[in-house]
Amino acid sequence: MAFLLRRLVFYIAAFIAAATINFFLPRLMPGDPVQIMFSSAGTELPPESLQALKLTFGFVDGPLWRQYLTYLGSIFTGDLGRSIKYFPLPVTSVLGHALVWTVGLMGTATVVSFALGTFLGIVAAWRRGSRFDVIVSVGAIFATSVPAVVTSLIVLFIFGFTLGWFPNGYAADPSLDPAFSLHYIGSVAYHGILPMVTLCTVLIGGFTVTMRNNMINLLGEDYIVMARAKGLSDRHVMLWYAARNALLPTVSSLAIAIGTILSGSLVTEVVYNYPGLGNILYQAILARDYPVIQGQLLIMTATMLIANFIVDVSYILLDPRLKGA
Amino acid sequence: MKKYLFAAAALTLLSGSAMAQAILTANIEPATTWVRNFNPFNQTSARQSTLDFIYEPLVIFNRFDSNKPVYRLAESFKLSDDLKSIDFKLRPNLKWSDGKPLTAADVKFTYDYLKKFPALDFVSIWTFVTDVQAVDGQTVRFALANPSSLAAEQISQLPIVPEHVWKDVADPVTFANENPVGSGPLTEVPRFTGQTYDQCRNPNYWDNAHLKVDCIRFPQLADNNQILTATADGTLDWGVSFIPDIDNVYVAKDPAHFHYWYSPSSMVAFLFNLETANENNRKAFNDVKFRRAIGMALDRKTMIDVAGYGYPTLNEDPGLMGELYKSWADPSVKADFGKFATYDADAAKALLDEAGYKDKDGDGFRDNPDGSKISFSIIVPNSWTDWVDTVNIAVEGMQAVGIDAKIETPEEAVWTGNLIAGKFDAAINSLPASASPYYPYKRAFSASDKGKTRFTAQRWFNPEVEKLVTEFTQTADLATQKEAMNKAQRIVAENMPMIPVFNNPNWYQYNTKRFTGWSTKENPFVNPSISRTNPARLLNLLALEPVK
Repeated sequence: MAFLLRRLVFYIAAFIAAATINFFLPRLMPGDPVQIMFSSAGTELPPESLQALKLTFGFVDGPLWRQYLTYLGSIFTGDLGRSIKYFPLPVTSVLGHALVWTVGLMGTATVVSFALGTFLGIVAAWRRGSRFDVIVSVGAIFATSVPAVVTSLIVLFIFGFTLGWFPNGYAADPSLDPAFSLHYIGSVAYHGILPMVTLCTVLIGGFTVTMRNNMINLLGEDYIVMARAKGLSDRHVMLWYAARNALLPTVSSLAIAIGTILSGSLVTEVVYNYPGLGNILYQAILARDYPVIQGQLLIMTATMLIANFIVDVSYILLDPRLKGA
Repeated sequence: MKKYLFAAAALTLLSGSAMAQAILTANIEPATTWVRNFNPFNQTSARQSTLDFIYEPLVIFNRFDSNKPVYRLAESFKLSDDLKSIDFKLRPNLKWSDGKPLTAADVKFTYDYLKKFPALDFVSIWTFVTDVQAVDGQTVRFALANPSSLAAEQISQLPIVPEHVWKDVADPVTFANENPVGSGPLTEVPRFTGQTYDQCRNPNYWDNAHLKVDCIRFPQLADNNQILTATADGTLDWGVSFIPDIDNVYVAKDPAHFHYWYSPSSMVAFLFNLETANENNRKAFNDVKFRRAIGMALDRKTMIDVAGYGYPTLNEDPGLMGELYKSWADPSVKADFGKFATYDADAAKALLDEAGYKDKDGDGFRDNPDGSKISFSIIVPNSWTDWVDTVNIAVEGMQAVGIDAKIETPEEAVWTGNLIAGKFDAAINSLPASASPYYPYKRAFSASDKGKTRFTAQRWFNPEVEKLVTEFTQTADLATQKEAMNKAQRIVAENMPMIPVFNNPNWYQYNTKRFTGWSTKENPFVNPSISRTNPARLLNLLALEPVK
């Protein structure tokens, strides 16, 4: 219990620190939202409107430290302010719309790549040294080493532009209104294929390699030899004796992989113009939409910390040595 | 017989109910999703179909017809002889779209409202007027801070809103005004989704007799690709888009109906920061001969044809008038100084030689007469690809005459910030387009604007020019205004603080398949652009008729 408390204190401190960085980081970038509106508008906006805009977005609400305190307060009330780019929409609703798409994309990609990667890892470990193992291992290491941005650009270029098999952007056909119709859901699925494939390519290698190494470590254990000696079938031993135990560290590595998943999905969404959180963040950074950037980073920080906390808890449940700690 | 009569009656009924609405499809702004916001004071986030179409201006000044006033909500205005106050008289029996009367009280309410909520005052009108009074139900009197012949234009920039709606709005700055009550032709919003919205006829519009378009439909188009598709397949009737290679991509698809007309708009120029921190560059930049030589090293034709697809309009006028303000141009200025804004690499080299800019250290580039090195970068926003290409052509031209120039492509925000703060050596920049050269001159050469806007980035100020620009506003007499402008443009041309290359196009595509009556190159009765900065778009709309 003391272990958990120590961790909890650490997470709260980390959260406050991250929240502070979230506040100051966007403001350290050159240019502010009003300036960007001016440059984007070309010569359309009269400089007289500068003051009106600053008042509108609350840039004259006193010094930075006061803005910071307001911001800290807003974290706990859940009122994240109003977006600048999509003024006067509240940040929560801007992010809410996007969250659905990102969770859908990331969730599916994570499940698919975890299942597939784990399975490949099991088989590769079981037949270590075979041609299958070599191809899978090298392929996995290669796929994880290529940055998500490169993978998504290559996939988009080949299947989107050159072959024209799949759409080059959007989460669904923009001419359709969202509805629970087969037509609309089909469109969503069709538009989601390329980003999915990209994310899976990025993620799958990590799961494969982790699983394969865990398996190989276990295969030398006595109880595996024992199981085989009992005359159990290969498949039974592979899945029920080795894989089951090798899966435990992989599950905890899943939480650690959340960082990769987040960054991968950010990049993928931008490349495919997918209306999720990643794209919103990118657009918000371009527009220096401080409230949206803050809200977004806050969500990401919280996600990471919660995931890590879950890992800590699961370690306690999985590792008897930590029970008394 | 009876049966036939009945059938005929049924037919007429049917055809009556099936009367098709005349729906025009337009594109003003790209967007990833539509946000329902019709707050006319939210200049950067409200839908750009809010002003003019929902809130009609008092008067529209027609730039394409020597800036003549076209009376809309106001039937007349009168400037006092000392130019210190102005009366607007509203049309009789005006109504809001909800049927309530629109009176001078609404006008006064709107202006007082802007004073109460400065965040709404997007043209800082309260630095311009000091007092607003409703003289009677139809007349409003504005007292001006300084005598100005441009009062009517300034005051007409703001929308008039209904007092009975807005007086109860708790926070007008964040008010999205989803169901607007307005005075313009298209106030009703029957459909609004993230992907499309319609704006339809105001049943109480005073000028309904001239309005033949029932609705404008605005499909959500996110990027150039989508805009291109919607333009080329004939979905759009009215657009403000950039279309590459438009003759082949768009016009060729249906030459009888698909048209475009790009009249000149804001001026684009190269400029040097006369106060740059780099001492050696500063010496050269402050030498007018150096600036003139650069002016002659720029291949404007190639910039227009290659970087701009031939859309921009050539500008070789160091007095900055160009095609856009040609009625204001003094021909003697162009005769005296025009050669410095015309491409001639040999003349540029000769002038640099003559002024003592020679390569002293043997690196292949010219140095200052005192031997110090000249080397600078020209900044341009990285996402404005046509400008990036323009700067690349300029850099080639400068290097060809022995000047060590490079290109630097910061983010848009950084570019703007550096221009405002004066943290750069050289840049490409533009000046706002207006009815007369008064406005760009005021923007570029007012010392009080230094460090506040990017239009004063060159940091060149001249008390004489400022005096002439002020004089311009203090008389309503055209001949006196012209005289002031002639003097001012001569001083500017002689000093060449900005090196013009071309005028940006005023984007305008129109499709005559469903509607006719457009303002065209052959019949340019108003500025045709549907952009939010062009109130005359309302006049173009009112001239349209559906094709039978």
